[in-house]
Amino acid sequence: MRVSLKWLKELVDVDLPVEQLCDRLDMTGTKVEQVIKTGAALEGVIVGQVLTKEQHPNADKLSYCQVDVGAGEPLKIVCGATNFAPGDKVPVATVGATLPGGVTIKRAKLRGLESEGMMCSASELGAGADASGLLVLPPDAPVGLSYAEYAGLSDTILELEVTPNRPDCLSMVGVAREVGAVLGREFRAPKWALETSGAPVERDVAVTIEDPDLCPRYTARLIRGVRIGPSPEWLVERIVAAGARPINNVVDVTNYVLFELGQPLHAFDLATLARREGVVEVVVRRAREGETLTTLDGQERRLSPDMLVIADASGPVALAGVMGGEATEVSETTVDVLLESACFDRACISKTSRALGLISESSLRFERGVDPELAALASERAAQLIAELGGGEVAPGIVDMYPRPATPRVLTVRVGRMNAFLGTSLASDETAAILRRLGIAVEGTGDALTCTVPTFRPDLEREVDLYEEVVRIWGMERVPSTLPGGRERVGGLDAVQRIHRRIGAVMRACGLNEHIGLVFEDPRRVELCGFELGPDETLVELINPMSSEQSHLRVSTLTGLLDAVSHNQRHGVTDVHLYEMGRVFRTSAGRKLPKERLVLGAALAGSWDRQQWYERPRPLDFFDAKGVVQSLFDDLGIEPWRLDAAEHAWLQPGRAADVVVRGEVVGWIGEVAPRLLEAFDVAGAVAAFELDVKSIVRAAGGVRRYDEIPRFPAVKLDVAFVVSRDVPAERVLAAIRAHGKPLLADVRLFDVYVDPDDAVERRLPEGTKSLAFSLEYRAADRTLADDEVRAVHERVLAKVCSEVGATLRG
Amino acid sequence: MRMEITERLVDLRDEALSKVASAKDLEELESVRVAYLGKKGALTAVLRGLGELPAQQRPAVGRISNEVREALESALAERKQALEREALERRIAREAVDVTLPGRQRVLGHQHIIHQIVDEIVDVFVGLGYRIAEGPEVELDYYNFTALNHPPEHPARAATDTFYVRDMTGASSPDAFDSEVLLRTHTSPVQVRVMEKQRPPIYVLAPGKVFRRDVADPSHLPQFTQIEGLVVDEGITFGDLKGTLERFVHEIFGPDRRVRLRPHFFPFTEPSAEVDVSCAMCGGEGCRSCGGEGWLEVLGCGMVDPNVFRYVGIDPERYSGFAFGMGAERIAALKHGIPDLRLLIEGDMRFLRQF
Repeated sequence: MRVSLKWLKELVDVDLPVEQLCDRLDMTGTKVEQVIKTGAALEGVIVGQVLTKEQHPNADKLSYCQVDVGAGEPLKIVCGATNFAPGDKVPVATVGATLPGGVTIKRAKLRGLESEGMMCSASELGAGADASGLLVLPPDAPVGLSYAEYAGLSDTILELEVTPNRPDCLSMVGVAREVGAVLGREFRAPKWALETSGAPVERDVAVTIEDPDLCPRYTARLIRGVRIGPSPEWLVERIVAAGARPINNVVDVTNYVLFELGQPLHAFDLATLARREGVVEVVVRRAREGETLTTLDGQERRLSPDMLVIADASGPVALAGVMGGEATEVSETTVDVLLESACFDRACISKTSRALGLISESSLRFERGVDPELAALASERAAQLIAELGGGEVAPGIVDMYPRPATPRVLTVRVGRMNAFLGTSLASDETAAILRRLGIAVEGTGDALTCTVPTFRPDLEREVDLYEEVVRIWGMERVPSTLPGGRERVGGLDAVQRIHRRIGAVMRACGLNEHIGLVFEDPRRVELCGFELGPDETLVELINPMSSEQSHLRVSTLTGLLDAVSHNQRHGVTDVHLYEMGRVFRTSAGRKLPKERLVLGAALAGSWDRQQWYERPRPLDFFDAKGVVQSLFDDLGIEPWRLDAAEHAWLQPGRAADVVVRGEVVGWIGEVAPRLLEAFDVAGAVAAFELDVKSIVRAAGGVRRYDEIPRFPAVKLDVAFVVSRDVPAERVLAAIRAHGKPLLADVRLFDVYVDPDDAVERRLPEGTKSLAFSLEYRAADRTLADDEVRAVHERVLAKVCSEVGATLRG
Repeated sequence: MRMEITERLVDLRDEALSKVASAKDLEELESVRVAYLGKKGALTAVLRGLGELPAQQRPAVGRISNEVREALESALAERKQALEREALERRIAREAVDVTLPGRQRVLGHQHIIHQIVDEIVDVFVGLGYRIAEGPEVELDYYNFTALNHPPEHPARAATDTFYVRDMTGASSPDAFDSEVLLRTHTSPVQVRVMEKQRPPIYVLAPGKVFRRDVADPSHLPQFTQIEGLVVDEGITFGDLKGTLERFVHEIFGPDRRVRLRPHFFPFTEPSAEVDVSCAMCGGEGCRSCGGEGWLEVLGCGMVDPNVFRYVGIDPERYSGFAFGMGAERIAALKHGIPDLRLLIEGDMRFLRQF
């Protein structure tokens, strides 16, 4: 809402600086978004008085003058005009001023004499076409005053952010009333006197409202014999300040009243409306299927039955509350004007305006709610102005169909409860005084105040709404700050939330950085990756996505992580270690809400650290990712777990596995398939995993029991098994553990050897590998004797060899 | 004979002492010891011959030979200590490093700045007695709008502002306005879900991802992070809301920052306010950093609207409550001077590692 300060000052006394007014409005709920000073283009143009006028010694057509501009020495100005004499008051552009034409005034020598400014014509000031001579001002023009101010050109426009609950503040009167309440000043409603003559309106106009739910009130008034023409300056100035464009006196008046009172109006050219038996029958009804209307902007609109139209006998002539029709608009030839002032349903106007993509000053106000009580008043105001400016006569009477009269709401404010609610201690009379300032009628003096809310405040529906009015006018800054005193509460994270935090901490300790990716996904990428969905599962689809690349929700964090790896590589960062803990989505037929699953995803590319002085960087691979998972499970006390070699479309075959915890698959791990790396524009290997967080949390160990620290020394023996290459290390380890009981305390794999493909000398039989283990034997109650251990060890080795088909490496 | 043996002992002593003195390292010194004092050593051999001496000579020769042995042993020990010291000094000199070389570092990962802020705020409110609540990111219109007192025609419901999701029950036509399923536009639906399940007293904080149909640009993201708080209890006042938010601002932004509440409008609170924090640069005077305002808007808040209580079956005559919400991205931008929110979702290691 644009508010002209000049206009506002006619409606309420604003006797404080603009900055302070803005602060007060900010702090009472009407934010001032911008302060615009108009007339600034004439800055530096001042009312001056010519003191002397002499002939320029070097030029016949120039004079040399001394001009008083109210401050300092009189200016010496060379001038070419002749229509003035010493003593005349004229506008003087001083050095530095910029005129509307773009000319900036400089100190200049004209035919040998220095000129310290310029006296201006009307055309030079953009104040008219007269360029024949100086604009000589009346003798009472005060010397030294800025010309813009003198001529009333300067104004200050406040751009207010009006919240949706305050439709009343979408008018000058509403803002003035609010400002009056905020500043404690009297609000002066505009006054007028309407004179009517001629045949009553009913002779020519009848109104029927078919759908009173959508139109609680419709009024029509007639102004006959209007001369269409341009509006006077004062009116143009005001509607321009409010943000409209002048069109003609009738349309401008409807806009003026819209801005002044907040009532959208529409003027029809009576002659263009169809008559039946001599009467224009205005019908307010829903549009019929297939009906069309060409609106004022020249567009043909296809209408539907959920839209409300104003129709005559021939069909729709206006889109109710949104825009008038082109065929019935007021034009240069209009003589009689039918003036509509009505009230329409908020939701209906909002839907229509949105459906047609048509937003007008009128629809904006109806959407927020217009006071039905205003219709007749605004109609009278507009009719009076049209008659005054267009010279017509207003027909006596008004057709006023008002099937759903608004009744002022009566609410009770319990002052004690209000204070308990706000944490304040306002007295009853203080509370009543604040409410009265807002135009609310208050009765009673004790704890219960009976408040009658004016119809222009539809937002005040409940007692609590009045509390808000009181606290915002009284001042939120004055409410004492306290903390809630509730006793029955204990703050904290729950067990699951604590594990979530712990998961992040382990990831970071492993060197991974947290990424937050968008949940939006391109279904083509899901297909490319080959993510597995359940038999009846589908992706979650957005109905109104931003783009086809973001039309669905992700089923995995992997795509986002690969995007990030690619982004880093494109920017020269090759070592990328990322994790993300976020939700993935899938749905199936019959579901309203999709299944949301929290997952932990990670991607490793490049090396752990760039080239260092102490070691050569090693490319990250499968086992770096596995090490991260291992650290996580160690930290959370998750066991037993294992990796089962698996095939997944998005992973490189042979470097892919399922993560199995206590027999349940909780995720996958592997190196990303080369074809995906290419598709995501990623160079080099990417090791990745994704785990289901809920499963991890469920498997996380609870309280840890103390394990006795060994008191007797261990005997360490190393051994290397030669096994077929397809025997997993895990199987050999399991066999050693199984057969080593009870003396085997620990076993570690410390070497894996395979003959290189191009080896000249083969150290192992074809198709085999060597796995070297360090076995640690220990008894809890004694130091083991060497020969006892030897015997056990031999037995273990023999059993392992026969179980996994191994031989011992010599 | 006596002279002879005594002279030999003295000669041996002098010879051995000179060799001890000239031993260049511990190894050489050891061989000197072995050569004289070892089992087959020269001095040992002499001492072994003492038994053959006449009895009256033995004490005198024995004394001299003991003196010789002691002299040699102490010379050996002294020399050994000196050589060890030298060896240590040489080792220390050899092992000196350039202490300015970078350390061998296990490079730690970094938590995303948004989640650092979330955790920091969570910790403040946990300290004030709150618990943390979560809810689905894909929500029902009922929880996101209706139960939060948004009228059916509320502009936030527009398909230009809210992402709508295909309803798989077939309950709605494939039209955005008809679907009851959407990406939540704030974390307030979590509050409704909490109030449905839990009776007061309620003190919860709900952080989470939210979605609005904005094109990603320096100050907008289609997906961002909100942190909302809800308190419902007997006797909760607007002053409690003010005090709580002041405490929050002082913990997160610093104790010298001032807080102001500006009345505003939200459908689910009444009274409602926007919360400004005084600008860190100018302290409220107005400067370039705050756009001349002196204040930076960080929060929205208000007293829970009785209509919301009615939706979840809490008696507004008995209970009152407040709610507040803020965007973690905005706080990150204000607190850390992040100029472009898109940096937050790119996963650029150079960005992630800064915080």
